[in-house]
Parts: sequence; C-alpha cells; structure tokens
Amino acid sequence: MSGWIELRDVNLFRGGRPVLRGVNASLAGRAVGLVGANGAGKSTLIGALLGVLRARTGHIQVLGLDIPKRAMEVRARAGVMAEQAGIFPGGSGVDAVVFAGMLSGLSRRESLRRAHRALDALDVGEERYRPTHGYSTGMRQRCKLAMSLVHDPEILILDEPTVGLDPPGRTQLLNLIKDLRDEGRRILISTHILHDAETVCDEMLLLEGGAVAYSGTVTTLLGGDHGQMVAVGEGLGPDFAARLAASGLRVVDAQEGRIVFAGSGDAELLRFWKLVAEAGAEVRFLGRDHPTLEDAVVAVMEGNHVAG
Amino acid sequence: MSPAEMRAPSSWHVVRAITRREVGIALRRKLVRILFLISAGPPLVFGIILVVRIMAEKASGMDLGWDPVLRFLQVQSAPVVLLALGLGTPLVSRDRSEDVLYLYAVRPVSPWIYAMGKMLAVAFPTMALLLIPGILIAVLRQGLMPETVHTGESLLMVGKMAVASFFMAWAYAGATVGPSAATKRSRWALLLAFGLFWLPDLIVQLVWRQGAYSAGPANASVDLLEALLGGGEAARGWVSAAVLAAYAVAGALVIKFRVQKEMTP
Repeated sequence: MSGWIELRDVNLFRGGRPVLRGVNASLAGRAVGLVGANGAGKSTLIGALLGVLRARTGHIQVLGLDIPKRAMEVRARAGVMAEQAGIFPGGSGVDAVVFAGMLSGLSRRESLRRAHRALDALDVGEERYRPTHGYSTGMRQRCKLAMSLVHDPEILILDEPTVGLDPPGRTQLLNLIKDLRDEGRRILISTHILHDAETVCDEMLLLEGGAVAYSGTVTTLLGGDHGQMVAVGEGLGPDFAARLAASGLRVVDAQEGRIVFAGSGDAELLRFWKLVAEAGAEVRFLGRDHPTLEDAVVAVMEGNHVAG
Repeated sequence: MSPAEMRAPSSWHVVRAITRREVGIALRRKLVRILFLISAGPPLVFGIILVVRIMAEKASGMDLGWDPVLRFLQVQSAPVVLLALGLGTPLVSRDRSEDVLYLYAVRPVSPWIYAMGKMLAVAFPTMALLLIPGILIAVLRQGLMPETVHTGESLLMVGKMAVASFFMAWAYAGATVGPSAATKRSRWALLLAFGLFWLPDLIVQLVWRQGAYSAGPANASVDLLEALLGGGEAARGWVSAAVLAAYAVAGALVIKFRVQKEMTP
C-alpha cells in the first residue's frame, strides 16, 4: 500500500549545505513520528512536504499530490502547528483562529462557528476573548492547535507540539492528539521527545544528519512481537543459560537469578518451561523485555538495531 | 467540508481575508480612528463651500470660476497620507517581529498573495476616502448646477477621480507597507515611509530647482490631480502616474522578496 507521504530520493540544500540527503520513505501510518536530534532535518522535511522549501532532486507526494506543483492544495487540506511561529498577532485567541480558517478558504461566518467549536473541544474557555500576548504557554499551544484544526483538515502536521508544557499540560495535549488520531485524521508529529512519539505514533521516521536512519512501524523498531523475555527466579543463571542455548534459544543476557532470552512465541515458551522443570528452577517472574523507544532509537543511531 | 471539497481557496479570497483582518485591527487603534475622523473633515467643508459658492453665484449672477473638486482632492490627500502611514507601517513589521510569517507559508498563501493582501489593507480605505467623497461632491455639483454642468462632464470627472485615486492609493500602499517589510520595528518603518514621501521631492527640488518633476508620492499625487482635473500639463501627469506606479510596484517587490525569505522554517 502506498503511503500518504511518499518520499523518493529527496535531496535538499540550504545555504549550499545538504540538509536532506537521499530521503526515501513511504509513510502510511495513522500517526507518524518524525524523530531526530536538533538539526537532523525535521523542520526542513516539513517545509519540503508543504512546498515551502524546494527539494533540489527527488520526488515528494502528500495525499497523492505532487509537491511543489500542488502544494497549495496540500496546504489547504493540512493543518499545521508550527513550533517556531506564534499566533497571528493583534487580536484575541478566537480572532486568530477565525483568521486561520479564513486563510484556509472558509467564509468568516463559517470560520467563526468552527473556531468556537475547535476552542470548545480544546477546553479553551473565556480566555479565548483575551488578547493572545497574555497567554500562558499551555494556552498558546491550545490556540495554535485550534488554528490548525479550524478548517477540519485531513492531515495534521504538528511540529514539537508539547514544547514548553508542564507534565499535566503535556499529558492533556497528547490525549487530545490521540483523540484526533482515533477520529481518523492522519498525523505527522515532529518531536525530539521520544515519549511523546511512543505515546501517539504507530509509525516512525527517524532522521539522522538529514538521512533516514529508520522508517517503519514502532512495533518493529521496538523488536517486533517476537521480542525478548526476561525471567527472574532461583536456579536461573549462567548454567541454565547454557542449557537454554543448547536447546536452540538465543540467550541475550544471563546473570545469577535473571536471564533474558530472545523469542516470546508459544514454541519458545514451551521449551523454556520444559527446561525449567528439568532444571528444578523456580521462576518468580516471566515477562516481555521490550526496550523503550529511547533504547531502540539509540540502537538505530549506533547501528545496532535488529528488526524483529 | 469534505476532503473532496477542500481545494485551495482562490487568491482573491485569501487577499480579502488578509485585508479584512488588517483593517479590522487598524480600526481598533485610537490613532487610526482619529485619522479616519479627520479625513471626513474636508468632504464636509468642501460640500459646504460648494453650496455657498453656488448660492453666491446665483445671488450675484457672476461666475466665480473656482471648482471645489480638484481643491478637495488636493486637500484630502494630506489626511489620507497620514492615514496610510498609520495603517501601513505596522503591517509587515509586526508579523516579522512576532515570527508569524511561517504561519502564512504553511497555509495556501504565497508571498505575492500576502503582499497584495497587506497592500490592499492600505489601498482600499485610502481609495474609498478619496473617491467616495469626491463622487458625492461631483453629484452635489451636478445637482446644484444642472444648467452649467452636463452629466457627461460629471461622469468624466468621476472617471478621472477614480484613475487618480487608484494610482494614489496603491502608491501610498507601496510607500508605507514596503518600508514596513524592510524592518521589524514599526517606528523605523514609519520613519522610512516619512522619508519616502518627502525626501525624493526635496532632493529633486534642490538639484533642479525650477520646473522639476515630482519624485515622491505626495507631490506626484498633486501633479496627477492637476493634470487630470485642473488642466495641468499632460506630460507632468504621465510622469506623476509613472512615479506613483513605481512606488506601488517597488513596495510590492520589497514585501514579496523580504517575506519570501522569512517564510521558511
């Protein structure tokens, strides 16, 4: 299946320096995390997807539309929450949201109706009538999200949506984004906070130095369904690990009282329990040993990632 | 709106949205409201002068030979210039200082559309303040002096006023919004725009002294009005129109290129 974002050999230069280098990806996930360190090319890629920046070579398609030729259509069908930009100045929150809707093609009356609906959904109360320059960071982020949602876009592009928020504000915003994803909208979230990506995304595009370091599902990045198992108990140690290895299971780590082995399928578990019975070991805990997304991303960056 | 209906809006829709918002914001500013009120003064005064003049002509049986329409437009251009300065100079500098140009870039707004929207926010009220009272005075003149003023003559006068107002309004927009794009501070933009309105004429006058053509938008407006409505030299009229058009085009180009550079992430 082709993705809603297709990138083929995209090379983009800024100031003579390559910022995107041979980017290839087909992103079909409902929520895609665009992850990478500062300067990895995340914002540049978003600019290229919207036709704001022109790729020197390569081919970009968003929603099946060629970029930059049909960039205006993509921009009309996308809601963008930009990290570096603020809120349209000179008025209240509701004014800014109404204006954003009008720029995307809504009439003033329709935009006003939808602006209130979006602000209601984002739990913005009477503050919407206050001048935006007095808004807190959380309120600014909500207002920016309302500006990106007012025209009911098919896709949402969120650039660092949780930056500057306190933990409760971050959780609340991530829940809102999850709700939007579950409503059927396609979302691209650019973030360097891996927890945010792990919470919301089902697919990941990891950029490193302007090139793709990983592109695929989060499940695969985390080691797949056939991940690792950790067992804790009496009699589990290097000797038991040797018996496990002899039976054909791959032992990842073995310490006295704790053992980590590859595979979580029925056959592997049956073999494990048979050996436990034979060895007379006492298992107090057996569970999946998934790495965190952070571990997986670090592994990819260090070149140690093995897809499950 | 279903996805199939979500097409890029027309350029005119976006230009109108930008203009509407900027005029709305400007009208909340006290200075702009005062300038709007001041610019309503000349039409009232000249309307009264017209009535008094006709009454005097009828009473004395003499032709006073003084047409208020030209004088009105020449006087009216002064508060309109001040209004254009008040309206235009914060338009782009505010967006630049607040870092919101990218917000336009990620929506269906090209730098040209942005420039047109901002310039129209100055040109539209400017043109309205020149043309609407001008038309009213022409109608009043026609109504009060039907035996001496023919309908064709009145229509021609309105046409000439429309041409003059068009050139003046877009030139004022270029000369105020252009400087606004050149700096992030509205005060600097105001200073630059003031310079644009009066320095070029001052320099030309110093160099050529007598008979110099106008080089700034304020004097070019006066010359154009004189050529169109006061029987002035046609050559001066053409030069003035070219000068005014140059200010409009230069302003649009400055906005376009400045904004294009900053509309990137």
